[in-house]
Amino acid sequence: MRTLTRIAISAAITLAATPGIAQVKHPKEIKFPALRQLTQPAPKRVQLDNGMVILLMEDHELPLIRGGARIRGGAREVPAGKAGLAGMLGQSWRTGGTQSRTGDQLDEFLESRAAIVETGANDDSMNVSINVLSQDFDAVFPIFLELMRDPAFRQDKIDLAKTQANASISRRNDEAGSILGRESTKLGYGADSPYARQPEYATIASITRDDLLAFHKRFVHPNNTVLGLVGDFDSSTMESKLRAAFNSWQRGPQAPPAPAVGTGAKPGVYFVAKEDVNQSNVAMVHAGTTRNNPDYPALQVLNEILNSDRLFPRIRTQQGLAYSVGGGVGSDWDRPGLFRAQVGTKSGTTLQAISSLRAELDNLHNQPFTAEELKRSKESIVNAHVFTIDSKSKVLTQAMNLEFYGYPKDWYSKYPSLVEQVTAAEVARVAKKYVTPDNIALLVVGKDKDFDKPLTTLGAVTPIDITIPEPGAAPAGTSKPAPPAATSADGMVLVKKMQDFVGGKPRLDAVKSVRYVMAQSSKTPQGAMEMEMDQTVVFPDRIRAMMKMPMGEVTMVITPEGSFANLPGMGVRDLPASQRDGIKGQVRQDLVTVLKFPERYTFVVAGTEKVGSINATVLEFTAEGETSRFLVDPASGKVLRKVTRSRNPMMQGDVITEYSEWKTFGGLQLPTAATAMNNGEQVGTTTVKSVEINPVLDMKQWERPAA
Amino acid sequence: MTVRNQLWAIALLLTVAVSAAAQDLSAFEKRTTVRKLDNGLTIIILERPEAPVFSYATVVNAGAAQEVAGITGLAHMFEHMAFKGNDVIGTKDWKGEQAALRKVEETYAAYDRARRQETARDETRVKQLEKEWRDAISAADKFVVTEEFTKTVESAGGVGLNAGTAMDYTIYFYSMPSNRFELWAYLESERYRAPFLREFYKERDVVMEERRMRVESSPVGRLLQQFMSMAFIAHPYGVNGIGHMSDLQTISATDAVDFFKKQYVPANMVIAIVGDVKAAEAMPVIEKYFGRIPKAPGPEPLRTIEPKQNSERTVILREASQPFYLEGYHRPAGTHPDDSIYAAMEMLMSNGRTSRLYKSLVRDKKIAVQASGFNGFPGEKYANLFTYFIVPTPGNTASSLAEPLRAEIERLKTEDVSAEELQSVKMRAKASLLRQLDSNAGLARQLAGYQTLHGDWRKLFREIGEIEKVTPADIRRVANETFVASNRTVGMIERLAPAATAPKGASK
Repeated sequence: MRTLTRIAISAAITLAATPGIAQVKHPKEIKFPALRQLTQPAPKRVQLDNGMVILLMEDHELPLIRGGARIRGGAREVPAGKAGLAGMLGQSWRTGGTQSRTGDQLDEFLESRAAIVETGANDDSMNVSINVLSQDFDAVFPIFLELMRDPAFRQDKIDLAKTQANASISRRNDEAGSILGRESTKLGYGADSPYARQPEYATIASITRDDLLAFHKRFVHPNNTVLGLVGDFDSSTMESKLRAAFNSWQRGPQAPPAPAVGTGAKPGVYFVAKEDVNQSNVAMVHAGTTRNNPDYPALQVLNEILNSDRLFPRIRTQQGLAYSVGGGVGSDWDRPGLFRAQVGTKSGTTLQAISSLRAELDNLHNQPFTAEELKRSKESIVNAHVFTIDSKSKVLTQAMNLEFYGYPKDWYSKYPSLVEQVTAAEVARVAKKYVTPDNIALLVVGKDKDFDKPLTTLGAVTPIDITIPEPGAAPAGTSKPAPPAATSADGMVLVKKMQDFVGGKPRLDAVKSVRYVMAQSSKTPQGAMEMEMDQTVVFPDRIRAMMKMPMGEVTMVITPEGSFANLPGMGVRDLPASQRDGIKGQVRQDLVTVLKFPERYTFVVAGTEKVGSINATVLEFTAEGETSRFLVDPASGKVLRKVTRSRNPMMQGDVITEYSEWKTFGGLQLPTAATAMNNGEQVGTTTVKSVEINPVLDMKQWERPAA
Repeated sequence: MTVRNQLWAIALLLTVAVSAAAQDLSAFEKRTTVRKLDNGLTIIILERPEAPVFSYATVVNAGAAQEVAGITGLAHMFEHMAFKGNDVIGTKDWKGEQAALRKVEETYAAYDRARRQETARDETRVKQLEKEWRDAISAADKFVVTEEFTKTVESAGGVGLNAGTAMDYTIYFYSMPSNRFELWAYLESERYRAPFLREFYKERDVVMEERRMRVESSPVGRLLQQFMSMAFIAHPYGVNGIGHMSDLQTISATDAVDFFKKQYVPANMVIAIVGDVKAAEAMPVIEKYFGRIPKAPGPEPLRTIEPKQNSERTVILREASQPFYLEGYHRPAGTHPDDSIYAAMEMLMSNGRTSRLYKSLVRDKKIAVQASGFNGFPGEKYANLFTYFIVPTPGNTASSLAEPLRAEIERLKTEDVSAEELQSVKMRAKASLLRQLDSNAGLARQLAGYQTLHGDWRKLFREIGEIEKVTPADIRRVANETFVASNRTVGMIERLAPAATAPKGASK
């Protein structure tokens, strides 16, 4: 009875209050004036002769200067075997200090002035930021400058960054939400995608100071940099300061364009078991698009309708199935984003929530977009546009984005009118085109014994093992064969054909060692460089290479006991790990090695590509986290091309090696001519003079000479 | 030595320079208007006309600490209900809906009573009553226009629409283009004019999902819940603000009306508006709309005071997740004169890479990924905890962190803080305030928050002056009063290796 009385009283108050106010009966009656036009000045743009772009935005409200440099090159440029390098670089860049000051000294100097200079790295870029009281700019800027160009990457801070990276790895399975985010990205882009790489203890352990310095050296150049500052300064004075600081900086190689995102996992149901939860985290993913797509405005309207008119009101408010639910077609600046739809629901309604979410995706195709949905969603976007330019720092950030990704200058300002033009038919069209439920990989993280129905009612379930490889465990592919499940059946058939073309499996099995004598010509910044190379590989793990170069003879030996180089005039020294790994990687990608040890690789047939008149099959092969491709004549099994990621810091992107002049040596048919291309330019040629199978070996040559 | 002296000299010079900047803060004050409406509602307007937009924050001086046993989670539940609209927004026919909602409450009361019967429960009757209740909900749902309130805000260009329930208060906020000020005044005032509790029981399900996400399915969430209940044995700070699951499964819309009537009165609320709003033009609009909220006496202050702790307490969760360490010490409320000393200690221990815990535990000993100590857990209106939290690096147990942490705490108690270290802290406190002054939304929240807790928004700026006065002796005194074993509660997650037989990525 208490209940009744109380609600009656509250109703009485409500009713009594309403007639008493001769004011607004409905919000629709409220009139509003036109919004005052907001025109923000464009930042001052300066381009130096060395290619660096500077954007300056005055804002005198507070005595602060903020901003920083954004530099092309990020995690996506890091080889799989070094996953985690960009994150470690982002941290130890600042903590490792500059040539003139340690990181700890920087900490004291900056914090006593409440100044902030920080570094970071993400998928596609690195940044050095600054945030100071305007009066301190001149004192702090030299630090910013030195840090940007001459970081020291001191070893103690690299070790600290490793400890931190290892801690993140160890904790990555504690929270269900972070498992969902990570694993769904891997499903969306493919686990080997440069955008889905995951650091492991082994990859962190392999990262050296040389790697960090090399990465910095490869990318941090004025022509890869956009510098933006906003705050309490005079633009002309600031321009002079920055010109003085950066004018003499020499151009470097241009950063490569965005690497391809990769192919997502097969559509289907994927499951991660997590025992200590009573809520399931669900994601549906497939490929998305890029932001410069002309369909972008229509897609934003679609996303707005999907979230605000459909997912949130229906799955959350009406069905009470979730606290968090949402989704949309994702788009990135220079590579496709992912389509995602996600929901978190109690274990006992997992299948129910999946079905509701899936139904709403189907509804994007089946349920017409109403005039009201269209009007509301467009109004939401257009009327809120003012918030994207309501401060000088937001305007600067926008200008930096457009500059960095090469978008037209009016991209943001044109956006509201493009949204206004979107029609219901267009929303329906983009919904059909960009949301394709048949392509969805469904991921569930949860405790399956509490589910309302078994996941298998949705089809075959692929379990994902998220066990963290223990520290010290060998990286995948070295000692244990790669999981056979990952090699596709058609991949295996093609490998067999390639083996047959070369001479057959028995002959390959009989190869214990192989010696090549080659003449190589490579393009260098100093011009063409010719050398003769005599290289012997004793399978599985001994390599000796002797190179005759203009400055003398260089010998490099790699064995499990140690690796060294004998250099003209410098004697014997340890082979740097990066060089050692580079040579091992080349041998690992060599045709004979691949065909001799196919069990160490995973092979996936990834479509076809024209090579001359031949419709070649693309065979991806992966080992130690590194994926390369052979382009194979499907009729004969002959390899036409090999596509690998460049190991040369001066060369970015893929190196395409074209094979020809096949000859027979000891029963094996091998190419004797190869041409390497990078970015459409020929960068080297190799001519094989002789190949010896199982040559007589002088093992003394493999021992390190006494000093 | 010379380097240190130089640094100190530089720091001193800077102090002078920053006080110049502080002059601008008083200019900030000149643009601020405060007004108390006749019904007791406090309005703060800060004019920042750069862009034609404004942000606001409504702070209701009632949070989870205002709940009592049986209705825990209700403050938060009510926050969710403040998005449901009024008698014209969110409904097709309020009169019809109102009758239907009355029926929902009637049937729920009967059902709830029957199912909670402690002896001789009649299961058949419970089932029947539950059906009647669910049918009543379906009938009421027919009147609902789902999410119309939210859509009205967003169509008008509103962004950042959200709310939060803390232990001390409930806050509502968003930002709007400034030409929609009157619409905002209508929509915001309607939330507090009367409760419209449609879709209450569905929203309860949503809140239960929120609880599963934040507390039950999260290792740190589970630890915090245990840690708080261990640290507070009497005060409501000991109960997680999201409420006990059994209370969430029981509370009714009627309970929510009750809570609303007691707590959501104008005298218990502050609204701060920051942006392109002229106080002279805005105040009449505010009077027109917010003036309709009926005047009522403010709620009775809380009775329960946490008794002085007299024993060291420890709670350990053994879990499959990675270790985590918490250590909390009772301290007085945020309004206590020593608050600025605690604030200085927090910065000294936790702010930046020169902070003591970072240098010692993270940088040098490499035993922690993160280590800091902070004030105001889980609130600051009442006596609360100074809490250290440490995330150990791989290979270190949670318990192994206690000793190195306490070595640093001991330094606070026994050694004077050096002049330059203290100066650096004061410098950063000032700059940190300065960096908060360029966001309408941030300012609105700060102004409303300070006005609510301290009765004067100016405290936001005065605090800096108070920190400026902190001496090394103050820090030693307060550290010695606070950081003693009998005032300590420790919370840990220790890793329990998963059983060897546990399936890896098992499928069904």
